Amino acid sequence: MVKPDVQGISMDGVSENKMVPSDFSTGPMEKAAKPLPFKDPNFVHSGHGGAVAGKKNRTWKNLKQILASERALPWQLNDPNYFSIDAPPSFKPAKKYSDVSGLLANYTDPQSKLRFSTIEEFSYIRRLPSDVVTGYLALRKATSIVP
Amino acid sequence: MAAATAAGLATNVFPFRDARAAPDPVLEAGPVAHGSLPVPLVLDNGSFQARAGWACPGPDPGPEPRLQFRAVCARGRGGARGGAGPQVGNALGSLEPLRWMLRSPFDRNVPVNLELQELLLDYSFQHLGVSSQVTGEGCVDHPIVLTEAVCTPLYSRQMMSELLFECYGIPKVAYGIDSLFSFYHNNPKNMISSGLIISSGYQCTHILPILEGRLDARNCKRINLGGSQAAGYLQRLLQLKYPGHLAAITLSRMEEILHEHSYIAEDYVEELQKWRCPDYYENNVHKMQLPFSSKLLGSTLTSEEKQERRQQQLRRLQELNARRREEKLQLDQERLDRLLYVQELLEDGQMDQFHKALIELNMDSPEELQSYIQKLSAAVEQAKQKILQAEVSLEVDVVDSKPETPDLEQLEPSLEDVENINDFEPLFSEETPEVEKPVATVQPVFNLAAYHQLFVGTERIRAPEIIFQPSLIGEEQAGIAETLQYILDRYPKDVQELLVQNVLLTGGNMMYPGMKVRIEKELLEMRPFQSSFQVQLAANPVLDAWYGARDWALDHLDNEDVWITRKDYEEKGGGYLREHCASNVYVPIRLPKQASRSAEAQASGKGSGASGGGAGEQA
Repeated sequence: MVKPDVQGISMDGVSENKMVPSDFSTGPMEKAAKPLPFKDPNFVHSGHGGAVAGKKNRTWKNLKQILASERALPWQLNDPNYFSIDAPPSFKPAKKYSDVSGLLANYTDPQSKLRFSTIEEFSYIRRLPSDVVTGYLALRKATSIVP
Repeated sequence: MAAATAAGLATNVFPFRDARAAPDPVLEAGPVAHGSLPVPLVLDNGSFQARAGWACPGPDPGPEPRLQFRAVCARGRGGARGGAGPQVGNALGSLEPLRWMLRSPFDRNVPVNLELQELLLDYSFQHLGVSSQVTGEGCVDHPIVLTEAVCTPLYSRQMMSELLFECYGIPKVAYGIDSLFSFYHNNPKNMISSGLIISSGYQCTHILPILEGRLDARNCKRINLGGSQAAGYLQRLLQLKYPGHLAAITLSRMEEILHEHSYIAEDYVEELQKWRCPDYYENNVHKMQLPFSSKLLGSTLTSEEKQERRQQQLRRLQELNARRREEKLQLDQERLDRLLYVQELLEDGQMDQFHKALIELNMDSPEELQSYIQKLSAAVEQAKQKILQAEVSLEVDVVDSKPETPDLEQLEPSLEDVENINDFEPLFSEETPEVEKPVATVQPVFNLAAYHQLFVGTERIRAPEIIFQPSLIGEEQAGIAETLQYILDRYPKDVQELLVQNVLLTGGNMMYPGMKVRIEKELLEMRPFQSSFQVQLAANPVLDAWYGARDWALDHLDNEDVWITRKDYEEKGGGYLREHCASNVYVPIRLPKQASRSAEAQASGKGSGASGGGAGEQA
């Protein structure tokens, strides 16, 4: 196959071109000590442009961005990929546990929406400062105020 | 009662070890690395720990991997000093002082920041004693076996291949899944086996069905919960219960509690019922002893002292304001005098001097001067008034139980005052939440040690339970049991039977006591009546992935079609993968090669041509 080879060589040419002007920028990136013997000191990541690629390509993509661009690729219906193997949401209703002690909670405080299982827990909850209350709710991801 | 609590206080008290990692020595590669064939390097690249070592051929494969370190790096404290650069893994010692500066190449279980990955690889190669045998050319001569995530994004594999081939110049690489390597290690080699792997790591938990030695990737499932989420949950629970010890409840200590004091309940609801009973609680609560901190002790003393302090601060604030007002008054008066002098010049008729003075003062006309004088004199009057009022209020004594609001009201709100009050208010609100006493026990005697103890009761089972019940932490995904059922239901009954005969539990997060029994119970609930199943915990859940990768490397050294060579990488792009018994499934989608801005115009044209060609080939 001639095509892939030609493309391979020209890709290399492209990458070599970009290596040459980047020599000066990798200078300050190397340690003051001797450069490591097992790596190419002129290597520049293509995913992270650094100073060479200009201002637009400075940071690494995080997982969300990578997955967003992966979704756009031409997948077939049954292909396994990172987002298709996410576990499905649960069908069973969640059990309710007390926020304070973790025991099974039969009751919910209407004022703060915290769950509790005994009377002592209730009095404890009513004496809590508001930041601790929001902390417990945030732990359960129950902080949004939906009437 | 006092005697019982005194006796109870002495039991179950555990100190935190707060272990520091010892820095790794730079090892010599030794004769092991230079054989006739290049010896493969095996790297288990995990989000919690990276493990690296040689796969030495010969009768005795050798003990543990030579390097095991946390996959994090951070700059030394106090900014970058003296070109020392970022430190990696065990060279950091204790992680806690640097907690906010720790950076990891991983985002969930996928490496996304390849610069940090490069640092980790540098560290591994350096400490393993890898040197280039071809002088003058920086490259690593050994084939590498590297672990990757299940169904890792093609972009990530491309970046990783680029790093390995172009930066380190390795001859060939094989990518595999850590849980599959562990499966390879735990099953007899000559059998083509089927089974189900439940692998729980630091960031996520996977359930992987294996059919006839090959991963059935379409039916894998991943739950995005693992050891780090359990540690975070435990940390928040304890911080909310003990707000006074916020800083002492660190993630490292949480990991210690999880590793040594937590367990998985066989039946969660039943276990909780047991914990309701106070005797059971007393016998089983683990009291973690924090080191003594005098800061905490100071703030829990009498509230009267706190009031005293507040009043002192208020008085200081008032004095400061009064002084400032007087100074401003003085300045204003001086300026006013000067302006009046200039006005007198005008009245006296000394026009030249008047104009000169006007220019000095930066004003254009006598009217402006007049209006300015008026404004200034009004301001001076006001200031005098305020000073008089402030002096009056200072004499009023403030004696009541809630000093905050009345005091703040008496201070007149002017611009400067408001700023100062805002500075002091956070101080006031910080001191109001009191140190909470533990819920179930009451200490009638003032026991200093007990003030510094964290009572870990039901938290021992709550934190690890999140992988079974993600709703504890607010996640919508299904837990292990439900996901297991979902996966099994996608197969016909005979295949289900085959899969459950060989269930392997692997991964560091599976090491809780009681995990195997729990999984067996869950399977019992979902399988048909009186059918059999077999659950096995990996021999060493943490290191088996590395051992499996090493065994695999040794078994496949001469098998050419499982290694991705440099030629493959150049021809077929970075996302290329050669499948083998422990690898992902390769989906032949060609990614456009990433390039810098200057070459992007050329490359994008070729890249889209290549992917179009790739899709054409696929069809």
